[in-house]
Amino acid sequence: MTRQWLWIGVCLLGVSPALAQEQKIGAPPEASNMKLVGWNDLQARSAYQPTIHKQGDRYIAYIGHHGGTDDVPTPVNPLTGKPENNGTSIVDVTDPGHPKYLHHIPGAAGTYEAGGAQMVRVCDGAQLPKGDKSAVYMLRTFGGEAHEIWNVADPANPKLLARLDGLKDTHKSWWECDTGIAFLVSGAPDWRTRRMTQIYDLSDPVHPVKIRDFGLPGQQPGATGQVPTELHGPISTGPEGNRVYFGYGTNKGGIVQIVDRKKLLEGPKEPTPENLRAPELGRLLMSAWNGAHTTFPMLKMPIAEFANDKEGRTRDIVMIVDEAILNECGEPRQMIWFADVTIESRPTIISTWTVPEASGQFCERGGRFGSHSSNESMAPVFYKKVAFIAWFNAGVRAIDVRDPYHPKEIGYFIPAITDKTDKRCIKVDGKDRCKVAIQTNNVETDDRGYVYIVDRANTGMHILELEGAARQVAGLK
Amino acid sequence: MLSRRTLVHASLAGGMVAALAAFAAFAAWFPKPDRDEEATGWRRIGWPFPRDAFPAGRAWRRDRTEVYVRPKIGFCANCATGVVEDSEVDRVSDVDLLDPDFVPVAEGRRIRITDLLGRARLYRIRKGGRERLAQGLAVSLNCDLIVAVAVGPLDDEAVAGSVRHFLETNTVQVWLNAQLENK
Repeated sequence: MTRQWLWIGVCLLGVSPALAQEQKIGAPPEASNMKLVGWNDLQARSAYQPTIHKQGDRYIAYIGHHGGTDDVPTPVNPLTGKPENNGTSIVDVTDPGHPKYLHHIPGAAGTYEAGGAQMVRVCDGAQLPKGDKSAVYMLRTFGGEAHEIWNVADPANPKLLARLDGLKDTHKSWWECDTGIAFLVSGAPDWRTRRMTQIYDLSDPVHPVKIRDFGLPGQQPGATGQVPTELHGPISTGPEGNRVYFGYGTNKGGIVQIVDRKKLLEGPKEPTPENLRAPELGRLLMSAWNGAHTTFPMLKMPIAEFANDKEGRTRDIVMIVDEAILNECGEPRQMIWFADVTIESRPTIISTWTVPEASGQFCERGGRFGSHSSNESMAPVFYKKVAFIAWFNAGVRAIDVRDPYHPKEIGYFIPAITDKTDKRCIKVDGKDRCKVAIQTNNVETDDRGYVYIVDRANTGMHILELEGAARQVAGLK
Repeated sequence: MLSRRTLVHASLAGGMVAALAAFAAFAAWFPKPDRDEEATGWRRIGWPFPRDAFPAGRAWRRDRTEVYVRPKIGFCANCATGVVEDSEVDRVSDVDLLDPDFVPVAEGRRIRITDLLGRARLYRIRKGGRERLAQGLAVSLNCDLIVAVAVGPLDDEAVAGSVRHFLETNTVQVWLNAQLENK
């Protein structure tokens, strides 16, 4: 009898590793070479993009939010005592061990992706060519309907300055602080796609000046035939690098478009197929199974293996991050891809990286598993050395990218869930079956070396730092 | 060393297996019609398009009209509003599988398939070297889409109506619900 029970126990242990992996409230975070420094609950709002900005001697985190949930469409802001549509959280992270929530700017009405204010970028007026030197400008989306510019010089009392509205969608824009040129991901009403680029001169943010509309030929007004994959977001290297890397697609039909920035800004502006094609230098078509959510350039990287080659010792690399969108592995794996774009007309995928699913039975844990986004800060502390990737229920992953032909993981952190962490459901036999899991959605870093991750399932913002051998990769003490 | 007789028998056996496999494939290509198919005259045909971002759907033919249907899980641009613009029908309805250079004939219109709302739009396409008409249809269920494209004389309202009616039959709905419920 005793032996029988022993065998039953062994069998149960054998078949239930997935159950053992499901997160529980009160269980500690899972980590390797990364540790928690501080945390803020962000008023239990679903978080999208964090931007960390140094304002004088303070560090301020601006966090964009999705709309609320069906259960809590307008969470109460404890600072005002009132329910507010999810919008933008402003948190003083000068002392990362004790982040202080300063203000919440409400966003658009609507739940999940239909509301909120997902995207945020910040530039100092002192850096913008025609800005008020005393101002700090925050560019944010307002749901899918508008872009807004706020003065956040006093981050506890932001003031709305300008609004560009009448759109059918918005998403992850890019703003060059040294020139004021903004690549706004918008849905112009007459375009055939939900997301394209509206380029504005925001050097004087109070008086936005439209430069042109841009997208892939076939997306423009009046076109017929196949509609190319919609834009997700661009990243510009500014006038010095003279390139803009556009990522189209989230989890399907990804396209990376390499564009000559000067030709884009100064070329003919009418959205004809010829004019849209003119500034393009190269294009990488990804598998129909993967999108190009983030296209992060890492140019002129010395490759140790090629050090003695007469040509091609340094390579221009773009790290492409797909976005997983379906819960519990309901789609092909979304991960990261490294493309060598040195020969711009022939971009080539040179490597990929994914979290090994079996390392945590992540397909069974609940919610999404797969990549979503990378840090976008180009501060020297991590740039071209360590990339941080938000991986939904697998937390944040720290990747050594010094040899992009052979990326390798050097650390990870999967936050603990709380009683505010929202459930994620799939249909099983026609009925909802829900699980609660961390959903690390976005990540950003600051120039001190802190890593900020935010959660889509309402678990807040965790401030982390590397430790152990991973610090050495970044050259941190 | 095998005898000549053994080799002949082995070849015959191999041939029979191959013939059976071919027959099975042929049978799968032309599945047995169900009751609704019998009643409506629609006959199942093979999904003719190459693998793409979404799993293959199902296809049927009646007279000179063919219809191709599949769910696109998580592909709705706006989970709250559903399919409300013609550009969305252009983008999602699979009409590009028939001809990537499709040209809309007219503005689309609002449609209802069972209790799901969306839009349909008529296009001119080239298929098999000649010009034809196609209708793209897209309806939404939260963040998921059900899309269909029909090709045939769809300027005839009776034909267009019979396509929509067929999409509401058990033949299509039971299969679609199974896809959506086990996503």
